[in-house]
Amino acid sequence: MRLLMTASQIRGLPVVTVRGGEDVAEVRDVIFSPEAGRLVGVTLNKRGFLAGRSRDVLPAEAIHAVGQHAVMVLDASSLIAPGDAPDDVAHPAVERNVIGDDVLTEGGSSLGKVTDLVLLVGSSGEVVGYQIEKTGGGRGYIPLPAQLAVSGAALVVPNITEEFVKDDLVGLGASVDEFRARLGLS
Amino acid sequence: MTESFKRSAGRKVLSRSSAKELGSVSHLLVDAQQRRIAAVVIGRGKKAKLVDWEQLSGFGPDAVMVVDEGALRPPADEREQAATEGKLELVGKRALSEGGTELGKLDDVTFDTDTGALEELLIGDRHVQAGALMGSGSYAAVLDDSEVPSP
Amino acid sequence: MGVIGWVVLLVIVVVVASVAFVVIRRRRRGGRVIAVKEKE
Repeated sequence: MRLLMTASQIRGLPVVTVRGGEDVAEVRDVIFSPEAGRLVGVTLNKRGFLAGRSRDVLPAEAIHAVGQHAVMVLDASSLIAPGDAPDDVAHPAVERNVIGDDVLTEGGSSLGKVTDLVLLVGSSGEVVGYQIEKTGGGRGYIPLPAQLAVSGAALVVPNITEEFVKDDLVGLGASVDEFRARLGLS
Repeated sequence: MTESFKRSAGRKVLSRSSAKELGSVSHLLVDAQQRRIAAVVIGRGKKAKLVDWEQLSGFGPDAVMVVDEGALRPPADEREQAATEGKLELVGKRALSEGGTELGKLDDVTFDTDTGALEELLIGDRHVQAGALMGSGSYAAVLDDSEVPSP
Repeated sequence: MGVIGWVVLLVIVVVVASVAFVVIRRRRRGGRVIAVKEKE
């Protein structure tokens, strides 16, 4: 049974140093690579009620763990200048965002539109599923294979995904292993 | 002897050489990496002073004895300044796991009065070995959650 | 203006300030989920 959270839930979380116990920043944008199926990095806001954007960014390699209440880094040096970070983190290409894209099975059924990403709580940054707005209406959660082909305006998923549309994260968490076993991967 | 942070709060601090009362304990500043008390904070606000643990001749149930009044000093850096303002106080501090999950609030911390070494962290009715402490600061005390029993 | 007039004015000011506060904070905090596709 895996503990899951959505990418939206990471926004606004404090970034806390393990050694210093300080909240050095707050998560602003959460950036993923859908092909690699993992978190690439986050942009930051300063901490404080009316504080604005921070210049620094946090690439995934520098993240110690993502939890339900905080994103952990070893110390404040994990936050780096955009010039030192991968381009995808420093200047995310918002126009190539898969949020809002259609999810189609290989057989051509539309499951819905991507509204959010679901990832494993912990240090892997691994995306295990998508939250979708179902074609027939309502919210659903689908598991993803470890690698995903992404191009054009739609994401293509294996046919058996259609059997694994769940209503909540708990349902998704319980089904990810079975889904992957069925695909013959693990 | 084992003592706790909560019980120590407000305890009188005396000079061993003169028997003069120097104030009372307001906070205990912890070195999280070494898991021991680094200094005792006496008094509050601008007049607060620190005494390094090594300058204590004893931490007793009725009084804390400092070798000499001269051992009292003002905060030497930002961290010590924050300690005098209570920002680093462990009692009541949010306990956060290394994985980013909140574990609760630290209700109390126990330590050895001979060495100043931390012994246990109390979260609700859970007792966590001090070895689980990875770091602490103004926002949270970060614990290695593989060492934390389930509630 | 009578007392009631001043009270009403005060309420309006408080409401407008609260709304402005929330809007400004939301805009400054921002925060999006971005899943960036590789270039084709």
